[in-house]
Amino acid sequence: MSVKLNVLLVSLLVGCALSVVNARYQARHLLIELERLQQHARQLDIDWDQLQLDQSRLAKNDRIEGIARTDLNMAPLTPARTQYLTEGGQ
Amino acid sequence: MTRANSRNSNARVAASKGVAFSKSPVLAVRLPDWRSRLVLFVLFASFAALAVRAVWLQGVSDQFLQKQGKSRYERTLELPATRGRILDRNGAVLATSLPVRAVWGIPEDVLKAPPEKLRELARLLEMPDADLRKKLDSDRSFVYLKRQVEMPIVDQILALKIDGIDTRKEYKRFYPQGEVVTHLVGFTNVEDKGQEGMELQHQKTLMGVAGSRRVIKDRLGHIAEDLGMFREPHQGRDLTLSVDSKLQYIAFTSIKNAVEKFNAKAGAAVVLDVQTGEVLALANYPTYNPNDRSKLTGEQLRNRVITDTFEPGSTIKPVTIALGLETGRITPDTVFDNNPGWMTITGRRIRDTHNYGVQTVSGIIQKSSNMGAVKVAQLIPQQEMWEMYTKLGYGQAPRFGFPGAAAGRVRPWKSWRPIEYANMAFGHGLSVSLLQMARSYMIFARNGDIIPLSFVKVDEAPVGQQVISAKTAAQVRTMMESVVGPGGTASRAQVAGYRIGGKTGTAEKIVNGRYSRTNNIGYFAGIGPMSKPRFIIAVMVDDPSGALRTGGSVAAPTAADLFSSALRAANVPPDSSITDIIIPEVPLEESM
Repeated sequence: MSVKLNVLLVSLLVGCALSVVNARYQARHLLIELERLQQHARQLDIDWDQLQLDQSRLAKNDRIEGIARTDLNMAPLTPARTQYLTEGGQ
Repeated sequence: MTRANSRNSNARVAASKGVAFSKSPVLAVRLPDWRSRLVLFVLFASFAALAVRAVWLQGVSDQFLQKQGKSRYERTLELPATRGRILDRNGAVLATSLPVRAVWGIPEDVLKAPPEKLRELARLLEMPDADLRKKLDSDRSFVYLKRQVEMPIVDQILALKIDGIDTRKEYKRFYPQGEVVTHLVGFTNVEDKGQEGMELQHQKTLMGVAGSRRVIKDRLGHIAEDLGMFREPHQGRDLTLSVDSKLQYIAFTSIKNAVEKFNAKAGAAVVLDVQTGEVLALANYPTYNPNDRSKLTGEQLRNRVITDTFEPGSTIKPVTIALGLETGRITPDTVFDNNPGWMTITGRRIRDTHNYGVQTVSGIIQKSSNMGAVKVAQLIPQQEMWEMYTKLGYGQAPRFGFPGAAAGRVRPWKSWRPIEYANMAFGHGLSVSLLQMARSYMIFARNGDIIPLSFVKVDEAPVGQQVISAKTAAQVRTMMESVVGPGGTASRAQVAGYRIGGKTGTAEKIVNGRYSRTNNIGYFAGIGPMSKPRFIIAVMVDDPSGALRTGGSVAAPTAADLFSSALRAANVPPDSSITDIIIPEVPLEESM
């Protein structure tokens, strides 16, 4: 009886030990994965900032004005040739 | 023999616990009893000492070894805080930080590289070959070759695989709007620390706090275990300014054109939101590119709107008149006899550019008569005028939240001599900044109250402090509109489609301690549209050297330009049916 109990407990102990090893292994892998993804997130943040900077550079007013005036031959509108509509047709 | 034998055998038994080492009596050991006990004792004592030492190291004084152990497998990772961005009111990026690298080298190792590689390196670093060699000709073991190198170039440099070249991560501040808004935004130095403008004012919140965390790394450099935060990092917070990029660009181009057209030394303009007190645009010319400050001069750096003060000249007249109206001493129709166009106060002469003859109060503002302003001021006690100036913020430490904002100068009223008080009525003998001047026009644009200014976007309209009544404000507004109409000093400030009002000013610059007849500063401060004021615009043109020099002829048309573009850009419906403006060739000259 006592021998059987010991065998059972020993095998339980070994099982537990192995599962601890496994859990540690999994945890380490997940951690590496987490780090990788966090790194990726940081890189995406930087890319986002870079894109916003590019957008701001491209949307710079004097660049737009230059293109509008020279490439597209546009001119600023004046009230003299603007029809203003008021709400309710007053 | 027998006795000796027996003694011998006794001794042997005692010494060796009964084990005979030898049978020969010659070799018989003769050891005293205490020696074996001593050995036994020493052995036990040594073990005990080891045990005590082990307990001591592991249980009691364990920090030293713990630390030594940690330093062998634990790593501290720096978690740098990125500086917050600066945005305009619509979310456009005005300043942002991106990671770049500082390229450094160990001179001894780098110089061993083949010359063609060094030439290539110099080309990538955008410096002459000789400069690079000069930097490397050093006894030190660490030399920065170039800081703030952008990533694509860094990749090329590392691809050269020169021994002794390495990089260090750092941040670089980018200003996509460049010279247009730089006097407001400011800039940071190479250490990412604010030096000017909003970058300096909000350094603390923008900066953030770098953190660090403890980890255990494995042989391959992977993080094996996270030991938690050592210090929590706090990212720098984004700052949303009140400035509107579009209006800012309009203000900047108007002022730039004006400086070039009138051959002036400098110019500045500011646009305020009447409802919220926000600074919508603040432009200065000459200016500089914050992304490349290698050839920066003080002249370019000067913020003429906030940190420079000047004598406001005639732009202060509406304030003088408003106080007269408010205290009931005059009405818009009160008549003053300004013949013969000059007067003397304690021996000093005050003159108008023309003899305006008999004028109403409205006429004094429209034609900008110095004599008229002095005569109104003479009805008002000095102390009341000083209190008015103080309420408007003249001579008061400004609470604009901008580094280096000038307070201007108003001397205590008790020390004013009569001639000085007379001069103040038309804006001489006191000094204010352009921003203070623009802010004081709040009382006319709003219904008599003044609100604090803000460089940061505000969510709810601030509560104003009443200075004059709504009735007085409306009366002065009507007078200001007549300034811009035909027959006023600022007829060149007329705007197609919109009713605007304002006041011109011309101050003589002080050259070598004396007022100069030829060096002027021209101003215009105005409100528009008159039906429902949206903007206060103040323009300054410093030292125009063309044929036109007065505020009415240099600053007023600039302001008109600015008003017409700004009101259109802000989608303000027109409140005037006049769409064609005929501007008189020669504007009415105003008093200095």
